[in-house]
Formats: sequence, C-alpha cells, structure tokens
Amino acid sequence: MNEQAALMRDSVKEFAKQYLVDKATTIEREGIGKDTLAAILNQGFIGSNLPESKGGAGLDKLSHSVLIFELARVSPSVAMHVLLQNDLVLPLLESKPELIKGILSGEFPGVYINPMMDGFIKPENDHLLKGVIGSSSKYAIAIHSDGKVYLDYGKSEIDNDSKPLGMRGLGTCNFNVEKSEVLGEKDLADHLLLVSSLDIASIFLGISQGALDLAMEYTKVRKTFEHPLKDYEPVSFRLSELMSELEIMKSALFSDSIEEIMMLMLKNQAASFSRKVTRYALQFHGGYGYLEDFGVEKFYRDSVALNAMIYRPTVDKRFLATKLYSDKSGFL
Amino acid sequence: MNFELDEELINYKEKVRAFALKEFTEEVARTHDIEEKYPNELRMKALHEGIIDFMNPWKTMIGIEEMCRVDPGLGISATVPYFGAEVLMLHGSDYLRENYLAKVISGEKMMGLGVTEPGGGSDVAGLKTVATKNGNEYVVNGSKMFITNGTIADFFVTLVRTSKPDDPAKRHRGLSVMVVERAFEGFSSNKLTGKLGVRATNTGELIFTNMKVPEKNLIGDEGKGFYYIMEFFNISRIFVAAQSIGIAQGVLDRTTDFLKKLEASGEYVGEERKFKLAEIATRVEASRLLMYKAASFLFNYKPNPTITSMAKGYASETASFAAETAMEITGQTGISTDLERFFRDSKIMEIWEGTSEVEKIVISRMILKGEKNE
Repeated sequence: MNEQAALMRDSVKEFAKQYLVDKATTIEREGIGKDTLAAILNQGFIGSNLPESKGGAGLDKLSHSVLIFELARVSPSVAMHVLLQNDLVLPLLESKPELIKGILSGEFPGVYINPMMDGFIKPENDHLLKGVIGSSSKYAIAIHSDGKVYLDYGKSEIDNDSKPLGMRGLGTCNFNVEKSEVLGEKDLADHLLLVSSLDIASIFLGISQGALDLAMEYTKVRKTFEHPLKDYEPVSFRLSELMSELEIMKSALFSDSIEEIMMLMLKNQAASFSRKVTRYALQFHGGYGYLEDFGVEKFYRDSVALNAMIYRPTVDKRFLATKLYSDKSGFL
Repeated sequence: MNFELDEELINYKEKVRAFALKEFTEEVARTHDIEEKYPNELRMKALHEGIIDFMNPWKTMIGIEEMCRVDPGLGISATVPYFGAEVLMLHGSDYLRENYLAKVISGEKMMGLGVTEPGGGSDVAGLKTVATKNGNEYVVNGSKMFITNGTIADFFVTLVRTSKPDDPAKRHRGLSVMVVERAFEGFSSNKLTGKLGVRATNTGELIFTNMKVPEKNLIGDEGKGFYYIMEFFNISRIFVAAQSIGIAQGVLDRTTDFLKKLEASGEYVGEERKFKLAEIATRVEASRLLMYKAASFLFNYKPNPTITSMAKGYASETASFAAETAMEITGQTGISTDLERFFRDSKIMEIWEGTSEVEKIVISRMILKGEKNE
C-alpha cells in the first residue's frame, strides 16, 4: 500500500471510531443522520476522487478503495452512500457543474439503477420510480427502462411502508418524475459500473472484514461447554480459512497496481465471499447474532442486498469469460 | 416402498394450504413483520378451523410445512402456542395435564419452553437457574434467554437445577423440569426486539427472582429433566425441519414464478439461473425425504436421534441455501418482494433447537458409537 493510501486508511479508521462505531446501529434504524452526513462532507469524502480542478481531492484509485473498505467495515450504508456519489452520480453529472457544486455541499440526489441490474422486470412506465435510493430529493439519477441514463426532476415521497433488506441507512423513496433529460446512453452506465469494480470489491471486502472482526471478538469471549468458542476446531479453523481468503483478496485490492481484468475478478470473488463470510459470522454468534444490537446481522443482510443492488453477475461473468477465452463466450 | 402421503394427509395438507393462502395475506405478513407483533387472531382462527391437530404428529408436521411455505413468521406463530407440550404430555401428572395442557389445547392458554440461558445456548447442562426445595415448594432464581412466546405465554415448561451433580463431569444430572406461571410472584419478562427474521413470533427473556413454584408443578421425576428435554428435542427438531422445508419450498415456489415471468416477458433467464433453481429443488426433495424418515421412526415410537439430527441439520441448511440462492437468482426483484422476508426468516433455522454444529456433534457421536440408522 502506498503512502497516500496508508494515510487514508489511518484517517478513515479514526473517523469511523469518532463518528460511526457507536452510531452504526442507529444508522441502521434511523438512517444516516444529518450530523453524520455533515461529518462525511467535512472530511472531504464526497467527491474525494474528483480532480482538484473540479472541487475534489484528486484521490488515486487505491486510496479511494481504502476509503470505501474502511467505511464498509463499520457501516456499509455509509460506504455505499460515498460510493454511489463518487462512482456513479458525480461522473454522470460531469456536464452539470451547478449540481456537482450542490452535491459537494450536501444536496444528494436519489439514485435509481434498478432496470440495469440482474433480475429486474422492467417497469411499465418511467414516471414513477419505486425504490429510489435516498430518503428525499428534488432530482434523481435514474436508468430508465430503455437503458439510458436520465436526470429526472420531480417530487419524492419517503417510502414508510417497507423496510429494505439492506443498506437501511440510505433509506428509499418513490420518485414522481415531472421532467427528464438524457445524460447518456446505456453504455455509459455499463461503463461506470465496470470501472467501479475495484470500489465495489472494496465494499464487499469491507463488509467481510467487519463481520470477521465481530466474529473473532465474540468467539474469544463466548464460552460453551466451559471453553471459549475459539477453542473448537469447527469455529477457529473456519474463521482462519475465511481470514486467509480475505487477506489474499486484500493483498490484490491494496496492491499499488492492479490490472482492469483483475479488478473484475476480484469483484466477482468478493461478492460471493461476502455472503459466505457474513453467514458464518452470524452463525458463530448463535442466537445473539440474530439480534440487531450485536451488529453482525446487518453485514449478512447488506452483503446479500448489495449483490442485488449494484452487482451484475451475468453481465460481469460474460465480460470475464470473453476476456479469458479471447472470444465471445457465455452467449448461446 | 411408497413415497406418497395417504389420502387423509393429502386432504389435510390442502386444507392447511387453503387456510394459509386466505389468512396470511401479504399485508398481514408485512405488518406483523415490521411491527414485530404476534398474530394472536391467527392462532385462534387456526384452532377454531381445525387447522392445528396437535394429537396427530404427522398432521402437525405437514401443517407446519404448509404454513411456513406461505409465510414463515405467521406459520410459526400459529403453530407455536403449544411449544413444549410434549414434555407435559409424556411426563406430566394428571394435575398438570388437566390444569395446563388441556387449557393450551383448548386455546384458553399459551405455553412456552424455558431451557436456553443467557450464557448457555448449546450447553444445556451448563445452566445456572437453581430451584431450592423449601417445604412443599421450590424457590427458583435465574433467567432464561431467547424464549419463544416469552412475553405472551401463560406458563413455561422450565429446566432448572434442583441438585448439584454427583460427578462434575456429569453436569446433566440434578436437572429437573417444572411448570412456571407468569402469574407467580418473582416472575418477570422482557421482550427481545430487533430480530433479523421471524419477527411475528414473540421472543423474550424470563427472569426468576425468589419465585415460589409449588412442588406439584414438578414434571416427572426430580433429576431427570435433562433426559426429558433431550427427548423433547428429538421431537421438536422434526418440526423445525418442517419449518425449514416450508421456507425452502416457499422460496422455490416464488423463484419458479419469477423465472417463468421473466421468460414470458422476453427477458434473459440463462442456464446458470436454471441450474441454481434445480439445485434448490433437489435439496428441498432430499430434505423432505430425510424428514419423513426421521418422522416415521419417531412417530412409530422408535426415535432415532441420528436421523433426526440429520433431518433438522440438513433441512435448516437447505432453507438458508435456498433463500440465499433465490436472492442471487432474483436480484432486484428478490429484495423488493416477500422473498427478502423468507431470506431473513431462514437463518434462525440453523440456530434454534440445536445449531447446525450441535447436530453434527450428535450425528458424528452416534455414528462413531456404531448406532444403526436403518
């Protein structure tokens, strides 16, 4: 890890300790509060990967991954908030400096990327966007059913009738579209999700690390049959295996140079790994793991929800297979 | 060998499914899940419409599966007011059966089972709740954790220590089971909220402070409590297998519907997703056959703990596997429909009534002891 990335890691850890650790459960229950949003903004996390000429901090790719990883380790919702703004919203609004300025001062749009994700049956109309990420906003960045990226203006209504599976801190709303303008063709959103592979891998691996941190701590202190859980092979061997897998993936994630194809490979591996590791972490907490106060169940929910929200296995695996065969593959 | 259910059970299964589809609407399921509220009205309806036939274990098992297939939280809630009743049925005195069990079966009262403790979990014999004999009553001090129906049941079949074990290595000795009423002085309870799933079910912590329990509330013989509870787990684990298979089958129903609609709308389905669906379906069938085998041993009075643990362990892992795989297959649709509730509900199956790890301990121990499974 280079010096800038190491510095970023230390500073995000300190930030998380000060602003997130004690609030992580509250964020899940009540959403990312104004204080936390303000602290994220003051710390310069939003727009941190934008060039300095555009009001950002000009962070390199590695340092940005470190930022996402360390935030996800404590609060995946906060990490997702930063990732959505930095990797999707700000690049999509490149031609709208006044909106970028607003985001950098805390006016966050809703984000609606459903129609391009796997497993989404396209909506009949694009005037009412259901399940927009974000609690309220005057405008939304949305992929419509034609696959194009739009900037939609309208009114949002907070969705109080449902409780999302994951990333509960972000909140969701229904957005009534009054006016739309095209921001880009389908390829643009595809491209952005692809080039964000490293950050998406970071959030999956941050979730995995957070769940493993809790599982390691718990199995040290929790006793059964008069021995700590860590003394039992099925617990300590499994956690050691998972930790080994995680460390190997982290060494790729945090290397100073990583090829584009490796980013995609890492994202694929990290997505399924996070589901596995969070399931074990919950299991080793027993009944306590099932309660939100213990903080581990959110990682389990978030890993599964994130897979649906921002990861496209079919598209990514076809891309990967085609690269590896040097020929169109995975298409019949 | 016949793998078909008989006509009576087929008819009963259809009746339960019709009841669940009518009563467990999405609105009812969602509201009770969000508000973490026990559906008492469904308990009474199920009872009055003859949906629960507690005296017939085959029907109980099949009924649990069918209800959980429609909604796990509501299905478990409707079938759990009798939780622990088998201990009373098998070992309770006439007084206990008349004064407690009969009232649960008539719907007048609800019951629960108090075994798990805050520091205990899988280590049942390590419990700390103590009952000291004083004249013709016991004075009980201690607490119980993760107790189903904890803040709504009228009484609990509760495991306590009545004497120190004669050998420190034999901690399962000196344990007894007694009926503890909510109305007893010194009894208090707290509701546990913020559960990942099965949020329509009620879960609580019980606290006993110098609680006086009449001697006549002792179930069976003093000192045999551990054996009674292990015997009960042999029964209840089959019912947890039924809950798990209901969840997995419910997931399979919804995933199949999703893929059919996707295909009909001209969207890409792909072989990868179809293979995953096939894997879920295969595991559901295998789990159900294993459960039937365990049930046929038990319900013919030849309990086989190895097969029971295999059935519970495999079915519970199948529920989690099915729910997680379905979320992969259905993506965005899965997280915005009732499939996400099935996903949250599934995980507890691998934890309650013996974790997957405990089931593996039982299975390996019995196999190494040379127990036969046929």
